[in-house]
Amino acid sequence: MLSGLPTVLVNAALISALYALIAIGFTMIFGVGGVLNLAHGALLMAGAYAYLLLARDTISVPVFESMTLHPLIAFPIAVVTVAVLSYLLYVVIVQFVEDNPIVTFLATIVVALAATEVVIHYAGASTQTYTLIPSDLLPSTVGFGPVDGILTVDVVGFVVSWIAIGLLWLYVTKTDSGRAIRATSMTERGARLTGVNVHAVRARTWLVAGALAGIGGVFLGASSSATPGMWLQPLSLAFIIVVIGGIGSIKGSIVAAYLIGFLQTGVGEYLGQNFRGILSLVLLIAVLFMLPQGLFGREYHE
Amino acid sequence: MSSDSAFVRATDAVKAQLRTRLQPVWAVLCTVLAPLDRAIQPVADLYNRSLGRHFGTMTGLQFGVIALGFGMIATVPFWSPFYSETLNITFAVASIWAIFAMSWDIQSGYTGYISFGHSVLSGAAGYTIGLLILHYDPSMGPLVTIPLAVLASLVLGLVIAVPSLRLRGPYFSLITLVGVLLFTNLIFAFSEWTNGELGIHQVDPFTYEPWIRYYYMAIPMLVIAVGLTYVARSNVGMVLLTIRENERAVSSAGLDPTKFKISSFVLSSIPMGIGGALLVYYGRAINPVSFVEISNSIEIIALAVIGGMGSIIGPLFGSFLFFFLEEELLRDFIEDSSTRTLVLWLFVLGVLVFARNGVFRVVWHALGAVRGDSE
Repeated sequence: MLSGLPTVLVNAALISALYALIAIGFTMIFGVGGVLNLAHGALLMAGAYAYLLLARDTISVPVFESMTLHPLIAFPIAVVTVAVLSYLLYVVIVQFVEDNPIVTFLATIVVALAATEVVIHYAGASTQTYTLIPSDLLPSTVGFGPVDGILTVDVVGFVVSWIAIGLLWLYVTKTDSGRAIRATSMTERGARLTGVNVHAVRARTWLVAGALAGIGGVFLGASSSATPGMWLQPLSLAFIIVVIGGIGSIKGSIVAAYLIGFLQTGVGEYLGQNFRGILSLVLLIAVLFMLPQGLFGREYHE
Repeated sequence: MSSDSAFVRATDAVKAQLRTRLQPVWAVLCTVLAPLDRAIQPVADLYNRSLGRHFGTMTGLQFGVIALGFGMIATVPFWSPFYSETLNITFAVASIWAIFAMSWDIQSGYTGYISFGHSVLSGAAGYTIGLLILHYDPSMGPLVTIPLAVLASLVLGLVIAVPSLRLRGPYFSLITLVGVLLFTNLIFAFSEWTNGELGIHQVDPFTYEPWIRYYYMAIPMLVIAVGLTYVARSNVGMVLLTIRENERAVSSAGLDPTKFKISSFVLSSIPMGIGGALLVYYGRAINPVSFVEISNSIEIIALAVIGGMGSIIGPLFGSFLFFFLEEELLRDFIEDSSTRTLVLWLFVLGVLVFARNGVFRVVWHALGAVRGDSE
């Protein structure tokens, strides 16, 4: 199913914004704590399934009976839920092991695998789909000129992603608590000396990154589908983007997200879906060997 | 560092409480076990004088437990029916995964260069056998295919190790993780050869007799365990450990750490290949889910972590413990397989967070200290 080049380009631009949002959360956590959070994909999955739980009556867990809330109500609740989950992940598990990067690596990926089992247990292993944009509000696809068949949910996802990125930028540049995050990611000792409570900053970063993951997860699930294994693909995307952009750099993540977004969409469209991931992974390997600090980043120091 | 957090402080307080409460229990255990320790000591000394310098010296009780453990593993088909009908099968699978966990340990556990990509090595061996049987000659026997499979795993190990071991810490782990994703993607991309998701099912097993099948898995496992322990306790093992603790010290001693890191990866890919081949002939099939996908690599690491990284024997017992819990003990309480896996992952997580040196190592040091004469 080949679509016209303009459509492919627009689709790539739309999905890239979502990729950027996912990668920024991942890179922020690395920036302040030196922690590569391999449970980031699991947080995205949590977003999709939290929304499913709230807005569709296909799954139910104890305590929460299944309900069908309006998307505009369910969406923010899902995002807040994921933010809280992310915060708890830091407080209950990660802060005990963050002194050792390898143990953190292992612990977070075990969390992701455990999350898969939780999802399988309550929602089943099957693929679930949901609509985020009520069809009485907006048509499900839009098009203009040579561009057609663009999913409305992708357009909304693009807009919301950029709003979130913009708000994040305002937060880390204009407010004291946001600037503390940036300071900690630049130099932890410097931040301590200027009276920043580094521990509180880390916990707050996990909260913020969790919220971004929640937004990303709900849109990702709406754009394709929700499955118990959906955490791996975006996690590897976040990896690729963050390494190419430079670990810890927000600007780098955005640039790299667009690079990868266009590359993946192009490859998927013209070489076949099975090759979608391969080229990006090869690009990642090349970057790791030739430019380990990425486009905009600083190299990781032990 | 993290002493700022109230939650960490609270947990530390609970831990300290627990330690004081358990002190009397430990004292009782000591008085009971110390005579036993003393009784076995002469036998252990016999071992210490002959083989001790190759495999490490032990106290009486440690020797007793190891001898009992290996004795039980060697005689599983004889006593397992008294416990359950399936134990035979469970421990056969545990043997294969013990090979994986020990192979991972000699590379990652010892050098500290944590590989997330070991499932690629066993996958390479498995797919070599599968592809040979499917596309070249269906009548090929294991005597031909297994050496080729091990060779494939060895070559792939070199291909991964040589470039990636230039990277350090998380970057090395990342690239090995990428290796898994790439390998999985390639299997799907070349589905007309590999049958994609479904995998290759045309493999004949060694034998259908369960107890013989157990020994087909357990004997290679025991040989590999002895071999890897020997290497780990030799000078090479010492260098590998030093790479983990202080890589610069290795260079200062005039040794090339890169050479040792690559050797350890190669050393680990050979038994990975053997294990992969055994898994093919055990399960009679090869597919991405049970061989290559990332959860397999993580499971290998989990087994090693439960037992205790950097000890070879730890991962062996870790593997038997894990599969015993998953397939036997927990099965009696939890019917649903996803819940059972969840419980196991939470157990692994608990070990990682609160006892990152592993369960086996804690037990081992406790056994060595019943007479209070060592740490």
